Amino acid sequence: MSTTIERGPAGSADAATTRAMTVPDGPPPRARRASSASRIGRAPRGVVVLKWAVIAIAIGFTLLPILYLVTMSFKSPDDILSTRILPSRIAWENWASAFEQAPVLVYLRNSLIAAAIAAVVALAVAIPANFAMARLRTGGSRSMALIVSAYVAPPIVAVIPLFMLVRTAGLMDNVIGLGLIEGLMVTPVAVWLLDGFFRGIPEEIDEAAQIDGCGPVRTLVRIVLPLVAPGVVAVAIIAFILVYNDFLIPLMLTQSTASQTLPVGIALMQGGREVMFGQMAAASLTGMIPVYLLALFLQRWLVGGLTQGSIK
Amino acid sequence: MATVAPETAALRKPRGRRIGWAFLAPAFLAIAIVAIYPLIYTVVVSFSESSLGRPFAEWVGFDNFVKVLSDGVTVPSLGRSLVFAIPSALLALVIGFVIALSLDVAVRSGKVVRVIFLLPLMTPPVMAGVIWKLMFAPTGGLFNNVLQLVSPGADPILFLGSSPAAMISIVVVDVWQWVPFCVLLLFAALQTLPGEVFEAAQVDGAGVWRTFRHVTFPLVLPTLVTVLMLKLIVSFKVFDLVFIMTGGGPGLDTTVSSFNIYRTALQQFDVGAAAAQTIVFLVLVTIVIVPLSSYRTRLQKAGE
Repeated sequence: MSTTIERGPAGSADAATTRAMTVPDGPPPRARRASSASRIGRAPRGVVVLKWAVIAIAIGFTLLPILYLVTMSFKSPDDILSTRILPSRIAWENWASAFEQAPVLVYLRNSLIAAAIAAVVALAVAIPANFAMARLRTGGSRSMALIVSAYVAPPIVAVIPLFMLVRTAGLMDNVIGLGLIEGLMVTPVAVWLLDGFFRGIPEEIDEAAQIDGCGPVRTLVRIVLPLVAPGVVAVAIIAFILVYNDFLIPLMLTQSTASQTLPVGIALMQGGREVMFGQMAAASLTGMIPVYLLALFLQRWLVGGLTQGSIK
Repeated sequence: MATVAPETAALRKPRGRRIGWAFLAPAFLAIAIVAIYPLIYTVVVSFSESSLGRPFAEWVGFDNFVKVLSDGVTVPSLGRSLVFAIPSALLALVIGFVIALSLDVAVRSGKVVRVIFLLPLMTPPVMAGVIWKLMFAPTGGLFNNVLQLVSPGADPILFLGSSPAAMISIVVVDVWQWVPFCVLLLFAALQTLPGEVFEAAQVDGAGVWRTFRHVTFPLVLPTLVTVLMLKLIVSFKVFDLVFIMTGGGPGLDTTVSSFNIYRTALQQFDVGAAAAQTIVFLVLVTIVIVPLSSYRTRLQKAGE
């Protein structure tokens, strides 16, 4: 479980700073916690009060829009046009009509399938690449730079060429095709986030594996993969969320309800003749619930994956 | 090299290298499909008269570039991308930093606070756009309802329908989404700062402000620059919020580059011109990101 961040004996200076800057997944070590606690102890009272004020305001600003959406989803059309903050009665019909009149569940299913395929594709491509760069020393920093730079360009750049490619390949309006393309698109992020995890393994481990006669493939599967498992899980979640939340690519590559994802479906809903606010709020919340559940149950992995990989 | 055990050498030498490249091949193929091919395609298409149905209908040289640079829409849209990206990135960074600096008092309630702060980041941008569009609505929207309570009978504020309120509103939504990202990364960096330095500062009698100014800030500066760069990259990608909240309006007030390119390709069906706009936009992104990236590398070198 613990990806203890230790400096490999032959780790480059650059890699060493990376490690110094990163945090293992999970909560900070006890010693650190104690030291920050004692730091508070010495901080003037005013500063502590100020910090709590900042946190309180930040939590308010963070939660207000989400709570507002919840109230909207239960407001009848009359309540929505009035100046009431809370609904006068619970309007369940918004939820019923979101599911009856709009194919919310089909959209949701498409989103989940595309995101799951993409996460698997991204990891299947990224893991061997990370192993080669971090453990076999192939490709070096130039390969990494090339792969990561693919993420810097705004996706609008790739949209039309990919549209043409997907149409030629006959994968237009197809959830599996969408998942495949999205998987390739998030691969650079996956490689980038996984790098810290792969470099965190002590050098001696794969040397020992080689002395025991393990080839590179066995070393990766049997030795390295179990050690980077927390990173793999974290990056899988992040890739899943990135694709689940995406809008531009599915907007371009899907055309019918059969393959449209929830963000596309909701965007189309609001372009409709008659915009039903309550119904849209209910549909939006439906789409937010899966990612919020991930945040709730997997936050430790998520935070670990984001912080480990990206601060370098 | 001669002293390396033969088993180890076997892996690093030709066979290891070959298998290493084999491991890298799928990733390079992925990059070829989603980055290199689109780039080449875009460059080639930009010299042609093309539509989605009929790409490469005719070669027109630099006509598309001349056209888009003088159409009075493309250049302002580049400006709007900057007007959006720079404030949204800086605001998210500064607010995120203030929160990250405050968060140590809440370490004990860490889990709850962490989940709450993750929520905006996890929210699909389309849904974030929907939420805030409802809050900004002229009738029935939260902010205008509050305004009615404060001063009954006042004219509603057209948050998304007037200038410059529309652009500011989109920046606010983007900041709401991305502050948590900055908080996460900056808080993690703050947690790894060596405790001894703070103790030394304390012993020297440095106050809160001086400790921050001379100890904390220089130590986290490399991370701040990194986060700023990441956020700028993300900000240049903005599309969803504009699509959902304003559709690029009022007028062209929130038509940032991404949205302008989309309009050109899918509403005016001029793929050649869209490609030319894309290349100009890429040049702009490069001009902003590359100096920042090399400054970041310099800072990291200096820190070693």
